[in-house]
Amino acid sequence: MRYLGRKLLRLAFVVVAVTTLTFLFVALLPGDIALLVVGPTASPAEAAAVREQLGLDRPMLVRYGEWLAGLVQGDLGVSLRTSEPVGEAILSRLPVTLELMLLAQVIAVALAVPLGVLCAYRQNRWIDRIVTLTGFAMISVPPFVMALVLIFTVALRLGWLPATGYVPLSEGLWGNLRTFVLPALSIALIEWVTLMRLLRNDMIMTLQEDFIAMARAKGLPAWRILFRHALRPSSFSLITILGLQIGALIGGTLIIESIFALPGIGRLLLTGIFSRDYVVVQGCILFIAVAYVVINFLVDLTYSFLDPRIRVGGRDG
Amino acid sequence: MSATPLLAVEDLHTHFETPRGRVRAVDGVSFSLDRGQTLGIVGESGCGKSVLSRTIMSLLPSNARVPQASRVAFDGRDLRRLSERQLRQVRGRHMAMIFQDPMTSLNPVMTCGAQIVESLTHHMGLSRRAARDRAVELFTAVGIPEPARRVDHYPHQLSGGMRQRVAIAIALSCEPALLIADEPTTALDVTVQAEILDLLARQQRERRMAMILVTHDLGVVAGHTDEVAVMYAGRIVERAATTTLFAHTRMPYTEALLRSIPRLEDPPHTPLQTIAGRPPDLIDPPPGCRFAPRCRYADDDCRRATPALAGDGHAFACWHPLGAPS
Amino acid sequence: MARTTIDGVVAGGDAEGLAVRRRRRRLGVGFWLPAAWIGLVVLGAATADLWPMPAPETIDFFKRAAMPGTVGEIELAGQTDLSEYRYLLGTDSIGRDILSRLVHGARVSLLIGLLSPLIGLLVGGALGVLAGYYRGRVEGVVVAAMDIILAFPALVLLLGITFYLGPSLPNLILALGFLSVPASARVARANTLSLAGREFVLAAKAMGASDLYILVREIVPNVVMPLLVFAMLLVAVLIVAEGTLSFLGLSVPAPTPSWGAMIEEGRELLDEAPHVTMIPAAAMCLTVLSFNLLGDRLRGLIDPRESRL
Repeated sequence: MRYLGRKLLRLAFVVVAVTTLTFLFVALLPGDIALLVVGPTASPAEAAAVREQLGLDRPMLVRYGEWLAGLVQGDLGVSLRTSEPVGEAILSRLPVTLELMLLAQVIAVALAVPLGVLCAYRQNRWIDRIVTLTGFAMISVPPFVMALVLIFTVALRLGWLPATGYVPLSEGLWGNLRTFVLPALSIALIEWVTLMRLLRNDMIMTLQEDFIAMARAKGLPAWRILFRHALRPSSFSLITILGLQIGALIGGTLIIESIFALPGIGRLLLTGIFSRDYVVVQGCILFIAVAYVVINFLVDLTYSFLDPRIRVGGRDG
Repeated sequence: MSATPLLAVEDLHTHFETPRGRVRAVDGVSFSLDRGQTLGIVGESGCGKSVLSRTIMSLLPSNARVPQASRVAFDGRDLRRLSERQLRQVRGRHMAMIFQDPMTSLNPVMTCGAQIVESLTHHMGLSRRAARDRAVELFTAVGIPEPARRVDHYPHQLSGGMRQRVAIAIALSCEPALLIADEPTTALDVTVQAEILDLLARQQRERRMAMILVTHDLGVVAGHTDEVAVMYAGRIVERAATTTLFAHTRMPYTEALLRSIPRLEDPPHTPLQTIAGRPPDLIDPPPGCRFAPRCRYADDDCRRATPALAGDGHAFACWHPLGAPS
Repeated sequence: MARTTIDGVVAGGDAEGLAVRRRRRRLGVGFWLPAAWIGLVVLGAATADLWPMPAPETIDFFKRAAMPGTVGEIELAGQTDLSEYRYLLGTDSIGRDILSRLVHGARVSLLIGLLSPLIGLLVGGALGVLAGYYRGRVEGVVVAAMDIILAFPALVLLLGITFYLGPSLPNLILALGFLSVPASARVARANTLSLAGREFVLAAKAMGASDLYILVREIVPNVVMPLLVFAMLLVAVLIVAEGTLSFLGLSVPAPTPSWGAMIEEGRELLDEAPHVTMIPAAAMCLTVLSFNLLGDRLRGLIDPRESRL
């Protein structure tokens, strides 16, 4: 229990630090935000008006206090461009980002598990080498390049799927899923490599254990030994990294959403950046960072729950 | 005494190809075993006894080589000639093995019951229900208290002795004709060792199984085997009925092994008798008798030529055997 | 004796270890091939101005989106007359020589890809070593600070920084360098922790060696190798990061060519003239792959048991 308390304290500390830093980001901007917002051609009067409207003329601490107070109530400000409350904007786009993340991870796991098991079983044989080499090559492809390659081959040359265009769930599950195939693949075709390697390496160690020799001595078929006996004890690292990947994907879907024109949080952030809408930028960064920290915290908890040995000492090596 | 022995090992060699050279782990072993018989294989670590048992079960790593001439005939069929699929039908069903450390040989994330049920459904075609009932019966037979409850426990919830009983239950589940026990008591407390050995002996009698008991401890084979084969450096150097081996030891090595067992009757501070030196290099063994460097009776004959295993009821490989010259 | 695995495939017995230990002394093709590619890119980037090709901004109005191998007439760099020139890699949507832009664009990728990790490794490495050696409050502060920086997903943080600082080459190098500090600190600290507890450090202390001496003579030389391996990985990651930024248009502004921007510019022509995007994309992938391979080979040198290609 004390361990949990310590971890929660650390979480709270990091969250506070993150929110403060995000605030400072804007407050310490070199140059005048008001000018940034209205543009260099505006008159001083317009700039002054914006300054007052945004409350930029008030002392720093006051602004910080007001901002924090607003945060606690879920008020992340209002978009300078669309006047939409940032909180609502984020929440309405969250499902798209989540769906993309989920699908990407499902595909990555679906690729990583069978290949990882196969490569551990046939360690150092030709299939292992081919998969490893292919994985190496694929992990060297930047996500946006992967996306473009997929668009080129699947959408343009083969014509199987459309390159862009989002179909919300309300208009049909099939259409909605089709929208996400290419984007999810762009992410999954790179992420599977790390997961596969982890599973393969862990399983190679597990396969040397006595209870596997025992299972062989029982005359059980290979697939059964691999999946029923060896897989579970070998999944530790894979599950941990899976959790961390999910956390990282919250911000990482950015570029994919941009390329495929999916209305997710990442795209919201990008639009905010391009339109100099600092309120939106600030809100998005805050949301993404806090979500990331919280997810990592949950993964950490789950991991220590699964393996009691980790509970001793909070330091990571 | 049946005409065809249950297990007949003929001129068995097992070599490992390593960068340093070819390790001759098993270097020409032959013996046979009938139903209902127990053979003890005794030797120091590294003498090849574990490799031997795994060669019989065909559980070798990929760099192991067994020459064509070697034969492992089980119930008339040469196991060396079978495909992996055919071997899998033999393993677990007709031939079973228990390992040294039940903590590591049982799957830690499966319940004890599940590990037996698996064998039963796969080899005997039982339904899950029937298999579970059978598992409870087996647990009772091997002396596990509260079997119906234990069936759903995980290995770490049981003591060492009980875990080994579970392993034995698993091995016996498909009524094998041959049971190979590879150091079954080494990882257990001394008090539990005797119980486990008695259990094995009892089960073997009831089921008329053949059993191979592999151990480094002569004390283990003393009351529990019909025949004993002593292995050294990949070869059998003495083989005899158990009582004969202990009473009329011929090999100096066996004598040295016997002497190294500390006895309760010895006065206090009696120094432990050890065998000086180390086992020979299995890649490039010296010419002559392999035990010669450590044998207190060795002479030039021993170092020049390797004695062959000879003798009918009581076989030994020595130029100067102990006891009366025969 | 080697342990049996599922099918008898030997996995890590003594025999295997011996063989691997012998292999590791030779670097082999897996090292020299990627090293050669990187060398080529570096050479090209450094000597770009000396090559007989048009300047990266020069536009050939008559040969837009031309296929590789097309011949056109253009002023070569430093000249005023038109010469006949074969566009080895074709031209982009506006009519600029892709080869020239590729070679010049390599500068951005390499400058950022090599300088930023350097900053990260020097600063982060020092912090990590100090944290791992002194433990206590020093470690607490360093770890907490690193945790906070790591709390922000990298791309998001990067976007934030460039949003506020403005995209210029020095800013980018600093920003990406800053982002590399926590990860480098982590690696350095982890290695220092495992080293500091070893006997040879205790022995040095028992002999009265000062902390500085121990740090410089015992700890740092042993941490350098794992950090070097990590550096390769870092370079690969940062080249991708810069590529992503320039793809979004948030890296060094036009007219300076950068690979990511080139990839983006070719997007509208993806159907008709895929080479405009695919060539810089291939260059980026090959470079990243090369650094990954180098890192893998180096790792094979220090830890032969780690599974390698």
